[in-house]
Amino acid sequence: MELLKKLISRRRFLQVSGAGTAAGAAVVGSGGLGIGQLSTLKEATAATVDSNTVVNKSICAQCPARCGIDVYTTNGKVHAIYGNAGHPIANGKGCPKMHLGTYILYDPDRFKGPMKRTNPKKGRDEDPKFVPITWDEAWQTVADRMNTLRDKGESHRFGLFFGRGWGATDVGVTLAPMAKLYGSPNIGIGHSSMCSDGSVLAKQCTDGNASYSSYDYRNANYLLMFGANFLESFRPYNNNLQVWGYIRGEKAPKTRVTAVDVHMNQTLSASDRALIIKPGTDGALALAIAHVILTEGLWDRNFVGNFADGQNHFKAGEPVDTAFNEKWTQGLTEWWNVELKDRTPKWAEGVTTIPADLIVKTAREFATTKPAIALFERGAHNHSNGVLNGMAIHSLNALVGSLFAEGGLAYQMGPAYGPAPANPDDHLDDYAKNGPHKDVPRIDLKGHEDGYLFAKNMLQEVPKNHLASKPYKMDTVMFYMTNPVFSSPDATAWEKMLAEVFVIDTSPFPGETAMMADLILPDSTYLERWQDAPTYPFQGWPLAQIRTPAIKPLYDTQTFGNTLIEIGKRLKGPASEYYAKLENVENILRHLAKGFETTPGDNGVNSFESWVEKGVWYKKPYHWRQVRGEFFEWDGQGWNKPMSAEDVKKKLLKTESGRFEFKSSYLDSKRDWVLEKTGRDPAKFNFPHWEEPRYTGSGDLHFVTSKNAMHAEGRSANLPNAIALMQPTAGGRRQVCAEVHPSVAKAKGFKDGDLIRIKSTLGEITAVARVTELTRPDTIVLPFEHGHWAHGRWAKGRGSHVDSIIDNQSDRISGMANYYTGKVTVEKA
Amino acid sequence: MAKWGMVIDLEKCTGCQACSTACQMENSRLPGENYQDVLYYTEGRQPTPQLKWFPRPCMHCEEPSCMHVCPTKATYKTEDGVVLIDWDKCIGCKYCMIACPYGVRFYTDEKALIEPNIKQVFKGDGDLSWNPPYKGPQQDPKHGVGIQPNGVVSKCNFCYHKISKAPKGTADLDESNPELVEYVPACVRTCAPKARYFGDLDNPNSQVSRLISDKQGTRLLDHTGNKPQVYYLTGGGAAAAAVPGTRANKKA
Repeated sequence: MELLKKLISRRRFLQVSGAGTAAGAAVVGSGGLGIGQLSTLKEATAATVDSNTVVNKSICAQCPARCGIDVYTTNGKVHAIYGNAGHPIANGKGCPKMHLGTYILYDPDRFKGPMKRTNPKKGRDEDPKFVPITWDEAWQTVADRMNTLRDKGESHRFGLFFGRGWGATDVGVTLAPMAKLYGSPNIGIGHSSMCSDGSVLAKQCTDGNASYSSYDYRNANYLLMFGANFLESFRPYNNNLQVWGYIRGEKAPKTRVTAVDVHMNQTLSASDRALIIKPGTDGALALAIAHVILTEGLWDRNFVGNFADGQNHFKAGEPVDTAFNEKWTQGLTEWWNVELKDRTPKWAEGVTTIPADLIVKTAREFATTKPAIALFERGAHNHSNGVLNGMAIHSLNALVGSLFAEGGLAYQMGPAYGPAPANPDDHLDDYAKNGPHKDVPRIDLKGHEDGYLFAKNMLQEVPKNHLASKPYKMDTVMFYMTNPVFSSPDATAWEKMLAEVFVIDTSPFPGETAMMADLILPDSTYLERWQDAPTYPFQGWPLAQIRTPAIKPLYDTQTFGNTLIEIGKRLKGPASEYYAKLENVENILRHLAKGFETTPGDNGVNSFESWVEKGVWYKKPYHWRQVRGEFFEWDGQGWNKPMSAEDVKKKLLKTESGRFEFKSSYLDSKRDWVLEKTGRDPAKFNFPHWEEPRYTGSGDLHFVTSKNAMHAEGRSANLPNAIALMQPTAGGRRQVCAEVHPSVAKAKGFKDGDLIRIKSTLGEITAVARVTELTRPDTIVLPFEHGHWAHGRWAKGRGSHVDSIIDNQSDRISGMANYYTGKVTVEKA
Repeated sequence: MAKWGMVIDLEKCTGCQACSTACQMENSRLPGENYQDVLYYTEGRQPTPQLKWFPRPCMHCEEPSCMHVCPTKATYKTEDGVVLIDWDKCIGCKYCMIACPYGVRFYTDEKALIEPNIKQVFKGDGDLSWNPPYKGPQQDPKHGVGIQPNGVVSKCNFCYHKISKAPKGTADLDESNPELVEYVPACVRTCAPKARYFGDLDNPNSQVSRLISDKQGTRLLDHTGNKPQVYYLTGGGAAAAAVPGTRANKKA
């Protein structure tokens, strides 16, 4: 790069910078490209060679992974995006979505500035008749509504719902404190219950960490994957692909992989063993694997412990009454006696349709090819029994001693950020501290006995509760990075609610939520804005990246963080002082970066300027490691400092017992509520156990709406270049197709390519049939992506809106929406 | 002079299509008209169906049949072994598209795969078939680089605007080398599982030559005599990415 920098004069660089490109950017020339050839070409077609290319560091926005990117801008136009070579997730590489960024920036259907609605009628067929307004009017309108509600003691009737939050500048320092400063429990309802809370609760119930896991894949020798489509949709996708090339093509010994899903996908195809399972039964498979590990004596003695007499007393069908000295787990023999003893491979074959011999083989390999990781995501837990499935799968990690081990899984450390420019606690008035909002439940009934006591969020419940006035009606709702009118189960319920309330949308794109909005406050797209983003759980050690604008916003848009600050400044009372102190997003970033001065990153980042230059701060290693049943802490040289049991409980196994709990004390803490709401057996309700999923609908086919690799955070549906590659395995090039088994097509009398009708209790949609052996005879797979009734010229009217026929049923423990649990019928359309 | 070639390790290829999207970004390709496609095939029956895929760029043959049939010599072989199209000479007769055994050439003015036609949204001026705001800065019709003009055939050019700037004598264009990364073809540079390698086939010490030797690199449809300069490593059977059988059922 040094060599390239020399190819361009400083004068030229300054000219480009002055034209609106980002500060601190590196410069790449295109020197040497056949300058001599130019003179020989016809003038009409003369080659153009441009050496005014500027590269700035930013963060991809197509999935939660937060890959560092190099954004190439020439003469003010962004034309290329590649992985940042100095970024530990991207490592210079890209997934298929990374390269779609320029299409999003230059999407011709973007909103061009703030607007208000002039047509009071709302609905799919109503033109909102938006008219442009100034930003001052936009912000003041929101603040006025908020102030009026507060004056009436009804501040809880203002809600702010969000999906993909990135970090401190858009959520942590701006959005989240507003709930406290203004006084509304409904500011900051996230989409996690429609995302992946099923895995978060499964971890919390067993090892006490309410979090996604970090994974040390590169040092694992065996991966057992349940419903986490590692090579198409699991995060961090780009890094998963890098891992795959290493563990399958270079590492010695080669890592073995068994993958479980409901249809043949790329992950199953590329694995050593594909187990195509009946939807909703992953927990039964995991329980049978645990059964085999115990009966065959393959558990990790160092982590789990052993029978007092050193003999193996786990025999199928027989209870155990011999003493077992558990080391880092709790409840193993009780679990065996109430559940596992009967969970034989033969039994599981009857539930899952996976042949018993394959279950035995998988269990033996998993327990004897260490380090081994069992991982799972939405496929396994988007069911009424989801948290139980997750607990069963995660228990396999405990049985083979993978928790906090090299080649195992752990959790994520946060970045060494400096303090924000202001502290919300210094700006609370009496209303904020003691107002009536303190006594009302959240609109989604999260944490409420009538709702979901354990859930983190219940965004999918908002329209139902509002329409029933239980607990009350909202007045004004604002959305950030989420479009539930399209993506929520029973999505159309949102249309009814939003027709009744004042709606503010901040998306840069004309999605369905925007079509229901009264006010449009368009965010700048990700290549135009400043933003921070600490990592999602990755490899445990802390990592924080920064978005820097490649160009000034193309249109009259404002970064969402700045919009919140401007609204905050216009609120009555001391809240306005807080937001005045924040100033703007860039000022917050400068304060965060102060933390790097005292804790420099491994790549030398020790200031705001160096953060901007490198795009990422990170500091290895992860501080804790379990080695053969002993825990150690990093002392600066190695994992040398032995940890006491109290220390392990405080930092790693955060359960009541300080151990991995097969018998969950967290579930037991709300025992009566769990028993009442789930009807579960009091003897086993807090153990991982088998429970038939409660499928919604009465059709004969499971309806699974999987995520494709090309799904770029909600915008792919309006990107022609993405649409054409959307469903490669089944040939969905103009829209995604419904994968249906030939036996279904024959029985129902349709052919490959025919239009079919898919019916649930909520209604029906049509789809193009792809008759294929990829999918089970009892299952229809139709990836979510299309079926928009707004969202842009390419999205509107294309394909099938799957979430309009998916019932709004949730796991009562995790609150996770049961997207993959519908039963439908199909017929020729 | 180098003879540039590519090695694709099918044992590592995950079928993710990042090669295709990086290529369409770098070369301003229209939706569905990728210089580089991944083809997907299914065989077998439940519960043991097979899903396979096959990444396919232009093979940049040593004996390119497309070049031999071109009546205007628009398709030509460069000194460094790359098959290119001179758009100033191409008359759009499509003989080359029929002659190519690999189906990797595109003609402009075909019906748009995705409607509304994006060419009508970002209209071209002069000879250019369209003019998207995100197009790359390079426009070099003599080497078939940049926005495709009206009435001509186009295809993968091994990112000639990049590789042609590489220092002479380079054995491998390795994207992990900061000195070389800007000269690496887009598909090779981005390939996350590192299934792609690009280097000098005439240099027996290059990484590509070593891989072809160590892992028995094979060439697609070698019986045609075209002698591709793209080699595949098949990994001895464990790879999901695979050379398709003649009876495989092609999707997409």
